[in-house]
Amino acid sequence: MTIFGGTAEFPSRLRFNVPIIWMLALAAAGAACIPLVYLVIRAAEADADAWSKVVADSTLRLLLNTAGLAAAVTAASAALALPIAYLTERTDLPFARVWRTITIMPLAIPSYVGAFAFIIALGPYGSLQDLLAPLGVENIPSIYGFVGAWLTLTLFTFPYLLLVVRAGLRDLDPAIEEAARSLGQSAWGTFWRVTVPQLRVPIAGGSLLVALYVISDFGAVSMMQFDTFTRAIYVRFGSSFDRSSVAVLSLVLVALVALVLAIDWSQRRSAKYHRLGTGAAKTPRLVSLRRFRWPALLGLFVVSAVALLVPIGVLFHWLSVGLQNGETFPGVWSAALNSVYASGLAGAVTVAVSIPIALVVVRRPGFLSRIVDRAAYVGYALPGVIVAFALIFFTLRVTPGLYQTIATLVFAYAVLFLPQAISGVRASMVRVQPGLEEAARSLNRTPWQTFYSITLPLIAPGVLAAFALVFLTTMKELPATLLLAPIEFDTLATTLWGHQEDVFFARASAAALLLLACAALPMMILFGRDRDLRA
Amino acid sequence: MISEPSQPDTTPALVVREISKSFDGTDAVNDVSFQVEQGEILALLGPSGCGKSTTLRVLAGFERPNQGLVQINGETAVGPALWRSPEQRRIGMVAQDFALFPHLSVGENIAFGLPDGHHAWWTKPLRRFRRTEPPTRVRRMLELVGLDGFADRYPHELSGGEAQRVALARALAPQPAAVLLDEPFSNLDQNLRASLRLAMRNILKQANTAAVFVTHDREEALSLADRIAVMRNGRIEQIGAPDDIYYRPETRFIGTFVGDANILPGERVRGGAETELGFVVVVNPAEETAGQAIDVLLRPEQIALRPCRDPGPDCANVISSEYYGHDQVVRVRLQSGKEVEARLRTEVVWQPEDPVDVIVLDDAIAFPR
Amino acid sequence: MSGPFLSLIRWQVFRALVVPLALVLATAIALSACTTDDTETSEAADRAAQAAERAADAAQRAAAAAEESGQGGSQADGGSSAQAAQAAGRAADAATDAAQAAGEAASAASQAADRAAQAAQSASAAASRVGQDEQIEDEDPGDLTIYSGRGESLVGPIIERFEELTGIDVRVRYAGTAELAVAILEEGDRSPADVYYAQDAGALAALAENGVLSQLPNDIISSVPAELADASGRWVATSGRARVLVISPDRVPNPPTSVFDLVDPEWRGRVGWAPTNGSFQAFVTAMRQIHGEGATEEWLRGMIANDVRVYPKNSPQVQAVHDGELDIGLVNHYYLIRQTSVDSDWHGVNHFTDPGEAGALINIAGVALLNASDNDGNALRFIRFLLSEEGQTYFREQTFEYPVAAGVSAWPTLVSLDELNPPSLALTSLSDLEGTIALLEEVGALP
Repeated sequence: MTIFGGTAEFPSRLRFNVPIIWMLALAAAGAACIPLVYLVIRAAEADADAWSKVVADSTLRLLLNTAGLAAAVTAASAALALPIAYLTERTDLPFARVWRTITIMPLAIPSYVGAFAFIIALGPYGSLQDLLAPLGVENIPSIYGFVGAWLTLTLFTFPYLLLVVRAGLRDLDPAIEEAARSLGQSAWGTFWRVTVPQLRVPIAGGSLLVALYVISDFGAVSMMQFDTFTRAIYVRFGSSFDRSSVAVLSLVLVALVALVLAIDWSQRRSAKYHRLGTGAAKTPRLVSLRRFRWPALLGLFVVSAVALLVPIGVLFHWLSVGLQNGETFPGVWSAALNSVYASGLAGAVTVAVSIPIALVVVRRPGFLSRIVDRAAYVGYALPGVIVAFALIFFTLRVTPGLYQTIATLVFAYAVLFLPQAISGVRASMVRVQPGLEEAARSLNRTPWQTFYSITLPLIAPGVLAAFALVFLTTMKELPATLLLAPIEFDTLATTLWGHQEDVFFARASAAALLLLACAALPMMILFGRDRDLRA
Repeated sequence: MISEPSQPDTTPALVVREISKSFDGTDAVNDVSFQVEQGEILALLGPSGCGKSTTLRVLAGFERPNQGLVQINGETAVGPALWRSPEQRRIGMVAQDFALFPHLSVGENIAFGLPDGHHAWWTKPLRRFRRTEPPTRVRRMLELVGLDGFADRYPHELSGGEAQRVALARALAPQPAAVLLDEPFSNLDQNLRASLRLAMRNILKQANTAAVFVTHDREEALSLADRIAVMRNGRIEQIGAPDDIYYRPETRFIGTFVGDANILPGERVRGGAETELGFVVVVNPAEETAGQAIDVLLRPEQIALRPCRDPGPDCANVISSEYYGHDQVVRVRLQSGKEVEARLRTEVVWQPEDPVDVIVLDDAIAFPR
Repeated sequence: MSGPFLSLIRWQVFRALVVPLALVLATAIALSACTTDDTETSEAADRAAQAAERAADAAQRAAAAAEESGQGGSQADGGSSAQAAQAAGRAADAATDAAQAAGEAASAASQAADRAAQAAQSASAAASRVGQDEQIEDEDPGDLTIYSGRGESLVGPIIERFEELTGIDVRVRYAGTAELAVAILEEGDRSPADVYYAQDAGALAALAENGVLSQLPNDIISSVPAELADASGRWVATSGRARVLVISPDRVPNPPTSVFDLVDPEWRGRVGWAPTNGSFQAFVTAMRQIHGEGATEEWLRGMIANDVRVYPKNSPQVQAVHDGELDIGLVNHYYLIRQTSVDSDWHGVNHFTDPGEAGALINIAGVALLNASDNDGNALRFIRFLLSEEGQTYFREQTFEYPVAAGVSAWPTLVSLDELNPPSLALTSLSDLEGTIALLEEVGALP
């Protein structure tokens, strides 16, 4: 039983042995690829007609739409995340600590709720236009289509990047920036020419999370009526019920994902793992904002208002309307309990599964560990409903006894959100110097004991952050939950969906607000302080 | 300089035979053999990249050699068809950055390697209410390193020197057969090093534990070690007591690496060498090769200066002088233009342009050109 | 090294969290292991476990009855009631044994269950001999699993009512009609579902075509008008909805009489549709069937050229008409009634277009029995209940849909189903969604 790869054989090269750590990591990556296997099996059954559809013009348009949206959202997220991270970490911004919490809160809002709120608030004849009407504004630009999808997805996913960039910013040696200042660079020039280039790796990691999320999102694009691949997949199976044709379409999506992963791969080729710094991290001197103080505050306020106040306001509006009409909210508390239970399990399991992968990526860098790392992204980038179909297919064939149990559901969540856990765990793993593990080994500890008594407690902050992120994302997950949850296991997300579908907006709002509260709690505890994610 | 083992046990603490290790076809360690006696301190000295750290990691069990044999207290740890993992070796290790576990107190760090020394980390909040004294062994180790009362501190509350001593105490606590120290002073302040070297030597001697430490700092090696093995390009070039290494280096590389050196061209003559400074006695005479062109190595402290008896073009001239208080280093240009360095006491302070005669005080060492 | 680890406070938070978390995890694993045991083991074990459960139930009831009878009988015949209580106790023990054994081995379990059942029977016999008039239900009404593409707010209450009346334990999975249909296809013979309750005929027809539905008895099929059930009897409508135009009476004083008029320049930018919506697609399919491909394509292109506004589904159109964003929406009739029934000031009216055209299509929600069901009795009981007077009245009063059976009439403000005189069209022909999607994609209404 070895976890770092040492065995009692000598010389090692002559024997084929797969250390347990590799077995675990490969198993986890393999599990994440189950949806891909399913797609290949189903696509193999497809007739020529289904394949010929792929070559159609509409596919190209979908590809461009999807890639364009992913690129635009990622770029906009970076444009938001970089200054916000810098403002809240490196400047004398008033209430920086409060802003740190507020700016990541949009993560708690499901994209379908956010899109719905935006349509109500910012759509034609919506609240915004009502506000502007007295000023003589007759028409505001339509929110539907690309603009709406872009705005919604940017505002509700940029915190993924923010978390990662912020942590990266904390890891930077302030001495380098001080050197740039002493060489005559302005604060702005230093940020742009020294800080940002050093953050390349975190930016790439966060961008990957954002871009792949956009590719897999259905809620926002369907609300905003923007045609992406995921939406097309829904339309396809909703109208033809032809699984093979859906699989063919999904494989095209997988190809797009592979392209994104390849771009990221080339970006990170020069990324260096485990930092060698030993001294206590220096606290950087805060940049004085002076006359930019108020514009900065205003900017942060606008972003937070659009991303938080608008959806929450709309939800409260519907809730109060419902309360006035004497609406009741049956089942919402048990749904909240179920949500917390399933998300908690999903968080724990996903993080546990991600640890071997993170160990392999950090401690055994190489081609195979990169493949393992990339493979974990497959489930994350596919629409949840495809993952659900794949798991129906596999569970009923392999472990029928587990079908529609909490075990399958949690497994699905792990397949869907593994990369989020990996990025959190890996970030803290990178900071644990191998020397500590070696020291423990030389003090007569076996590899398992070393992992348990040294590595695990030291990566605890990252493990917790990863748990919180997976917990949060799972709370919002809908399509896989609808199909794979134990029967009658209502979560906040499914309750919210049901009521919104049936136009019981007050009930939907109650569930949405509760979901927000449940999701916000761990975030406030974990991310509001200094604990963050690193990619 | 070699301390007598206080135990009658004469089994060497460490035996290393013909260890080789290559990474991707490049030899890092090549056919290295040495032996460390009980209680002895051996320094592996060499420039960076010479393979000394790899050797240490092979001893500790973090690298597998391609071939060779390692015995620890007479037990084979590495040999044909045998590989003991680090935790099976009874070897203590002090890392360059000390690698103290940041989540454990000093006492817990030291107790970590003891058989009953650890509690499951998640029971810590429970143990909080039942505070127990650190185990006797931990207290004894803290006394040994002079840190009594530090048991409840955390690594981030320690100075560099304290951290080093905790790391040493932690490595010594399980009574290992030998302690390995990887550049133990490189992370410490320059002006702390001298005193810490002495402290560490005393601790190791008191514990009577064999130690191997790796360094690229010749002063460290010379002052701390009982014996020094000088490594270069993955091989050991010479093993010997510090004064052997310093005054009787076997290669020109060692001569220049372990101390400041003046190299003067000369010609082998009977009993010594003829150089620009006249006849010089060499410690390694080889009469049969008389007439051979050689280089003579003279340490700066083996040279003296005096005012030129016969001022004129035959005198050497002082180029520069660095004054250190306890001594001074004076650079002199000989008549031929060759420059030499002399380390002198400071009764006379030399100024640039002073005309001087250069006198050789001591036996030199000769290397073939 | 110290940086992130300095904050011992957070470290303690973690430790405080990790222990309960581990506990939760362990419990969950144990729980899921327990809950999956019965499905994991073979069918025989399953039956045995069920039998054991029923036996345990019966035994418990017997014990309760015996206890009560013991109390009552102490005045009358102490001896026999004590006997009954003893018998009941034995029965309960035997039943517990059976339940335990069920987890271990199928044969042992079924034997134990048989013994338990015998013991329970003799116990209940003993109890009834005591002469008290307690009613003991020998039959467990069993359970029923429904996959519902209709929302819980819509059908939850009527399902609850069914449970109340029958004692059947009904479990419902709510999700999208299409997702569930694909899930059922993916599950195949192993589907845990007994009944599929769909929001539209298209999904039902697709399942029927794939051969996963069972034939329904004649009495069910014949209880609705022939055009509201599958011709080969594999599904049946439970309620109907009419395609209407939701219009703003203020802004549209003279509403068009046909959907074909909506391509007139008069309505440029004023009309909304929801091309991804199942009901809309069914309507287009109907249009293709009634008016032909050419006319449909021309209409679709005309609508797009006329700047039709695209919505994700029906309800936002009703909302948009109310908000003044939209003048005419192509929707189903009940979205508006749902709003007006709670808010009498809601702006908008339902407008029925000319009968006989696709615009007057009646679409349905319907149910089907799955081949994979091993629970036909309860499934049919449920379907019959939906078509009963109580079920049909529920749809009229609560979901504002058109009743389809049992002579229940439509909601007062609606044109009655008969008067509507919908286009003569077999609803199964609406299953040609593929062609509709292709057409919608071709004209650019869909991606």
